[in-house]
Amino acid sequence: MAVRTIEVRERVMAKNDELAAAVRRALAEHHVPALNLVSGPGSGKTTLLERTLERLGPEMRIAVVTGDVQTQNDADRLARHTDRLVQAVVTGGACHLDARQVGSALEAIDLSDTDLLFIENVGNLVCPASWDLGEAAKVVLFSVTEGEDKPAKYPKMFRESRYCVLTKVDLLPYVPFDLALAEETAREVNPGLTFFRTSSRSGEGLEEWFDFLRAQVKASRPA
Amino acid sequence: MHEMSLALEVCDIAQRHVSPDQVASIVEIVIEVGDDAGVVADSLEFWLESMLSSPPFKAAKPVIRRVSGDVLRVSYLEVDDGRPDD
Repeated sequence: MAVRTIEVRERVMAKNDELAAAVRRALAEHHVPALNLVSGPGSGKTTLLERTLERLGPEMRIAVVTGDVQTQNDADRLARHTDRLVQAVVTGGACHLDARQVGSALEAIDLSDTDLLFIENVGNLVCPASWDLGEAAKVVLFSVTEGEDKPAKYPKMFRESRYCVLTKVDLLPYVPFDLALAEETAREVNPGLTFFRTSSRSGEGLEEWFDFLRAQVKASRPA
Repeated sequence: MHEMSLALEVCDIAQRHVSPDQVASIVEIVIEVGDDAGVVADSLEFWLESMLSSPPFKAAKPVIRRVSGDVLRVSYLEVDDGRPDD
């Protein structure tokens, strides 16, 4: 048997990255900042978005794309807090959203009538880290019930994220969680992370989060 | 967990680099997997072994090379060109 070698040298993620670039171009054309919320299951992504829609919905036009392996429960929950379309993507088993799914979801959203886009990714601290969805930034959520060593255990997710929202801080009196140690562990992985300490139940830290979102929208608008 | 979708993409890339009638003649697909690529190499190999033993492939084997960094790419293919050995 004579064997011939065919050089390929093609990145496995190349197709996804092309689609992500198209999503990013469409968002930039309409001056819409997009934040990709990532975390393990149960960290509070949907609840944070509920509070965000309640508070900022009256002052800005927020679109949401949610990803879940099964059910559109998260989208249904969010739809109760906005009269705008919440697009649900059911991945049917896949552990992450990809750029094709987000691109398809955006076809149903009028970007010219949108100020801010949230992508609520599938709850998973591993796989979503590898997929560019065309977002401006990944925001990793990290609840105080998870243990301070999560960033060391799942470094890629924290490395790929620009912002880290610590959630459920109202539970700190009841759980052995050291906030400073958690942030230090995350900074060892990614020194550039910006932190928010929040509780969607008590409201602690949410004003800072809302101000951050307002600033993102303002910065994206044409001069 | 996302190694199955990565394996599907590897298969797609391999098929795009040969003519349709050559797909069954691919004997090796060499993939570079970086230590920081966020990929479980054993899992990727498992899925590739499964996919590459089914049509349109015939008996292609995945060869995974660990490298540094976050590289994840198909490096090259080895294809049986049907001629006898020199």
